[in-house]
Amino acid sequence: MIIAKNLGKTFKLSRRQKKEREAESQNGEVQAVAGISFICQPGRIFTLLGPNGAGKTTALRMIATLLKPTSGALTVAGFDVVKQPQEVRRKIGFLTGTTKLYERLTPNELVKYYADLHDIDKSLFAKRREELFTLLDVHAFANRRIGKLSTGMRQKVSIARTMIHDPEIVVFDEPTAGLDVITSKNIIQLIRSCKETGKTVIFSTHIMGEVSLLSDDLAIIQHGKLCYNGAYKDFQRQMQRESLEEEFIRLVEEVPS
Amino acid sequence: MKTIITIFKKELIDSIRDRRTLIAMVVIPLLLFPVIISISSKMMMSQIKKAQEKTIKIGLLTNGNAEAFRQTLLSKAGIQLIENVTVDSGRTLIEKDSLDALIVFDQDFDKQVAALLPGKVAMYFKSTERIEIEKKRLADLLNGFEQNLRSLRFKKLNLDEAMVKTVEIAEHNLASPKEKLAEAIGGFLPYLFIFFCFMGSMYPAVDLAAGEKERGTLETLLTSPAGRFQILLGKFGVVVLTGILSAAISMLGLYVGIRQAGEVPPELLQSILGILAPQSIVLVISLLIPLTVFFAAMLLSLSIFANSFKEAQSIISSMMIVVIVPAFLGMMPGMSLNTTTALIPILNVSLATKAIIGGTVAPTILAEVYLSSIILAALSLWICAKTFERESVIFRGA
Repeated sequence: MIIAKNLGKTFKLSRRQKKEREAESQNGEVQAVAGISFICQPGRIFTLLGPNGAGKTTALRMIATLLKPTSGALTVAGFDVVKQPQEVRRKIGFLTGTTKLYERLTPNELVKYYADLHDIDKSLFAKRREELFTLLDVHAFANRRIGKLSTGMRQKVSIARTMIHDPEIVVFDEPTAGLDVITSKNIIQLIRSCKETGKTVIFSTHIMGEVSLLSDDLAIIQHGKLCYNGAYKDFQRQMQRESLEEEFIRLVEEVPS
Repeated sequence: MKTIITIFKKELIDSIRDRRTLIAMVVIPLLLFPVIISISSKMMMSQIKKAQEKTIKIGLLTNGNAEAFRQTLLSKAGIQLIENVTVDSGRTLIEKDSLDALIVFDQDFDKQVAALLPGKVAMYFKSTERIEIEKKRLADLLNGFEQNLRSLRFKKLNLDEAMVKTVEIAEHNLASPKEKLAEAIGGFLPYLFIFFCFMGSMYPAVDLAAGEKERGTLETLLTSPAGRFQILLGKFGVVVLTGILSAAISMLGLYVGIRQAGEVPPELLQSILGILAPQSIVLVISLLIPLTVFFAAMLLSLSIFANSFKEAQSIISSMMIVVIVPAFLGMMPGMSLNTTTALIPILNVSLATKAIIGGTVAPTILAEVYLSSIILAALSLWICAKTFERESVIFRGA
């Protein structure tokens, strides 16, 4: 489970950024996430929807302990992201559409590397690797350098890398961005299978089709603030516009910058 | 510790598979010395041989004097005598490189000599390094002529030639061949070792920090249970190892280069091989370790700050001057290791290496060099760790 209470993140701007972003900044700072609260439940898919630059990636990076919150509280699988970041990282799997892999390693070596970082014992690693490689059809290229693999093959390796330690919580940051239809379909299947196995899933997107396809819970973010937070079914019931896209635009346009 | 080793092993494999790292770490240090030694010794030997075998064109204007000298020149092989010259035409020919030298005897040369006075001779030549051997051949002939005239004069006066010598100085240079060599090339070797330490560390540092950031793999690694300091230490270990290996390989290259150069005088060969004695190598490498730690920390800090491989390379290239200048200062004549220079980073290692090569290093000053280098290494590692923790650096430009 992920619990965020009044979660905020402010970035200090460099001298050059201050000049470039004079209009948005206050005292040389920019508030990327402005006190948001939400709960992601196990066995449910929580979708974070928002336009580019709304604060989705910053929020997910705080969950993954890549960034420290500047205000509020955030617990992941019962651990505080500021006080127990290492424990949090043991529990999460993190995948983005732009995730890159070590091109000079083979899929076998890469997955072993992450298994070692997660301190998984040899027999358990062998079992999980076998399961994942079979499921994702990686065996055929498991010993080929990643640099020589196609985008689709790489994405399969990325998934295996994310899931090798069987994470309790999976964070997907725009996981299908820039991917073709077939590779995107694999990711969608992965997100669904995570839900089916009782994992807590949070994923960010700006693709409306994915929202309707996957969401159990939905939060819409704009200018670092949530303009909707609740069950997706409730959202559908309350919609004031005909399509999800129009309703989304209506909501985000109402948020003051 | 297990996590650090895991990261170290992975980064090492990754670096070894990178062609640029391999070239900078192994190929260049291994081949540079043999290639330089081989080319320079071959070129030097061929130049000397050419100068020794060359027929020297000498313009001679005796004005009817010094017939004995003229006859000597005529009888010598490898000398072409040109007598129909004037001072002006001879000078012009030398300037145009058509003549190697012009020797002009004063009109009253023979008279002066007969009157027991010095006879005047002018020698015109163009001094360049290439011409030195040819000039020496000519000077030897003139000296022989002068010696001959002196002997005749003393004989005529019925005097012992030895009586002109009032003081006989016997010089005893107590510097060992190693010390002499250290003075001659001792400053150059540390410069190269330091340079290779830096070069060997540079590519892995750029690749493992800025390269990883640019390729987008750093973010994924940071979401693993490995702590940032553990990640840094794993990477850091590889950067230090490649730097040290690069310097060690350059020493091996030097050894191979000297061994394969066939025309090195045996005394010089012995001295050079003395430098490469296990004790000297261990001491030099032990000095290079803290220096490489400093380089690795500095390079990783700069590299992690950059957003791309290219940006890191341009930042680090401009920083090379910081390494080259103090290392180069160690080559300056008169620069020696003392309590003050032992505290100046890079220069201290350069001078200490020079002293180790010469076998003149004082243990107390060497200890000062170690201490200051270790403190600097620890400080730079601390700065690097702090840099690696900063969100604004890791996600700079993201």
